[in-house]
Amino acid sequence: MSVSGGDDAEAEVVKLKICMAGETAVGKTSLIRRYVQDEYDDRYTATLGTKITKKTLSVPDPGTGKVASVSILLWDVMGTRTLRELLKEAYYHGAQGILAVADLTREETLAELDPWSRSIRFVAGDIPVYVVVNKADLESERAIDDRAIDEFCTSRGWPWSYTSAKTGEGVEPAFRALVEKVLATRA
Amino acid sequence: MTSPVRADTALLVQERLRKDGDDVDALFTLAALRANDGNVREGLIILDRVLRIDPRYPGAWIFKAKLHRMQGEPDQAENAQRVAEAVEP
Repeated sequence: MSVSGGDDAEAEVVKLKICMAGETAVGKTSLIRRYVQDEYDDRYTATLGTKITKKTLSVPDPGTGKVASVSILLWDVMGTRTLRELLKEAYYHGAQGILAVADLTREETLAELDPWSRSIRFVAGDIPVYVVVNKADLESERAIDDRAIDEFCTSRGWPWSYTSAKTGEGVEPAFRALVEKVLATRA
Repeated sequence: MTSPVRADTALLVQERLRKDGDDVDALFTLAALRANDGNVREGLIILDRVLRIDPRYPGAWIFKAKLHRMQGEPDQAENAQRVAEAVEP
């Protein structure tokens, strides 16, 4: 992380590495695409390798009390479970926050956030996690109820919310909440 | 370090490499698949190809350091780690 800027007139720039986590096809890539480009594509293409997308936003920095310009590097990774352990250092070295993604229509994707989180924390330490339960537009196919999500996340100290990469619902606030949480841990 | 990999990942890699033999994302994944199958040396060869095409491919130098450690090659691992610290975004 680096910080530049010296006087009051110049906005502080904070660089953060945020990593996506979650099983294949939960919508990690679609969430980034919606957040950064405000676009959505119904066709599913599995992510191979690593993709980095940059996004800049302004948020209050609890450490300085000023509005900080935050440049986030969003690391999108393959959801292939069996390669997670092998690639954990490559993906998560230097990560400062995790956006952990579950799929409202697949119950097992919530429980699978535990091993994802363990892998990341093994490499990056006890960094903030924010959970999003994606595909909120598919309410009729819901496989996880509110209470189960809340119990799972609350017991781990992970804030959570619903998102829909398809409609855009909840996407920007979720990324913003994670960034604010990361900044708060630096304060 | 071997475990079964979803067949669809391997198939997708093959499909992408048929279209473009220099597809770095597919090559990076292929390197991981080979290492996961226990063919760490072959994984390293493929990873070196990734780094020739894109010397700043995200995570590739750190992955290279890990594969060298798995091969019992600490000097090469240290070199790769040093490069990683210099080039990682």
